[in-house]
Amino acid sequence: MNEATPSAILKDNIWTNNPVFVQILGICSTLAVTNNLTNTFTMTVALVFVAALTNVTVSIIKSLIPRKVRMIVQTLIIAFYVIIVDILLRAYLPDVSKSLGPYVGLIITNCIIMGRAEAFAQANGPLLSFWDGVTSGLGYMWVLMIIAFIRELLGFGTLFGIPVMPEGFTKWTIMVMAPSAFFLLGTFLWIVKSIMLSKGGSK
Amino acid sequence: MNKNGIVYTIIFTFITAFFFVFFLALANDATEELVEQNKIVSVQSSVLKSIGKLPEGGASISEAYSSEFDSVPVPGDTIKTNIAGEDVLIRYFSGSGLWGTITGILAVDGSVSRIIGLDIISHNETPGLGGRIDEDWFKDQFKGERISSEGIKVVKGSGSADGDTENASVDGVTGASLTSTSMETIINKEIDYLKTEEAVQ
Repeated sequence: MNEATPSAILKDNIWTNNPVFVQILGICSTLAVTNNLTNTFTMTVALVFVAALTNVTVSIIKSLIPRKVRMIVQTLIIAFYVIIVDILLRAYLPDVSKSLGPYVGLIITNCIIMGRAEAFAQANGPLLSFWDGVTSGLGYMWVLMIIAFIRELLGFGTLFGIPVMPEGFTKWTIMVMAPSAFFLLGTFLWIVKSIMLSKGGSK
Repeated sequence: MNKNGIVYTIIFTFITAFFFVFFLALANDATEELVEQNKIVSVQSSVLKSIGKLPEGGASISEAYSSEFDSVPVPGDTIKTNIAGEDVLIRYFSGSGLWGTITGILAVDGSVSRIIGLDIISHNETPGLGGRIDEDWFKDQFKGERISSEGIKVVKGSGSADGDTENASVDGVTGASLTSTSMETIINKEIDYLKTEEAVQ
């Protein structure tokens, strides 16, 4: 976060300082929602939306917020946007709302949003904060989508609910359950860190 | 004014909370009718689905519903109807799952000896695990299932649907034993009720 240019922020949030595999934030949702791609996708899109708007709002009113109640106000703003998303989904996309169920409410507790509001939006302007929220969300999204891809493919033999595995494919029940997310996330961290280290070493 | 003083803090918190809550109330109020309408349509479509009469494609669910029934049920209601000369009991059930209330529609034949169909209207089960009770493979297992004297069993099977409609048992959801057991309890309670209170002799 040395120089806050849009491209530096993008690179930071997608790779070098990725919220999931570097900051290890948002792990609970990584474990819970990644057993099918459709839910993961909707959840992460909602997260991008909430993270971006929360960052903008916090950034705009940051000079007005007393330090003592900073966190509470941030939580209030996050909850506000999450409930707005929930209301809009229930009114205009009832099917999506039904399939997401409790996910939407869970976004409130996603530490990535709070983390970005606290670490970035408190210190930067609205436009950069918006971009930071979007890219943080995207950094979260691509990691979750990869994990969901592997879990849904092996656990159900489908992708986005469409069967892709040959007939007679034995489903890996473990992939549907939470432990597999630990295994996959661990493996994922290992691979990514190895790449990062080897890149750092060659410099 | 001192920005970290108690007076400013209280006023600021009050105004911020008021502002955001006001907008939420506004948004909620503006969409209330739509949400209510969506709920009614969702109950109607569940009833139609449970008796296998859900209109295909873009046909209006409300129209299809009002051509069959007069009123939309609320939880705990039983509707009696007649399909192709057979009596059908349709029950809007509500019972406790693992995390919260599960509501849905259970349709059985007049003598409560076979399930005609099952549909889930709402649940709060773990998405991807217990939440899979709302998937078609799970609900379709109930279609035409024989009801034994002990009701219906939800068993730990292959987790990929039980095609046998004579064994009075269906496969539970893998990794969601508690939700599966709750479903078994809910359905059997409804079957008992229908047998004793509503069955057409």
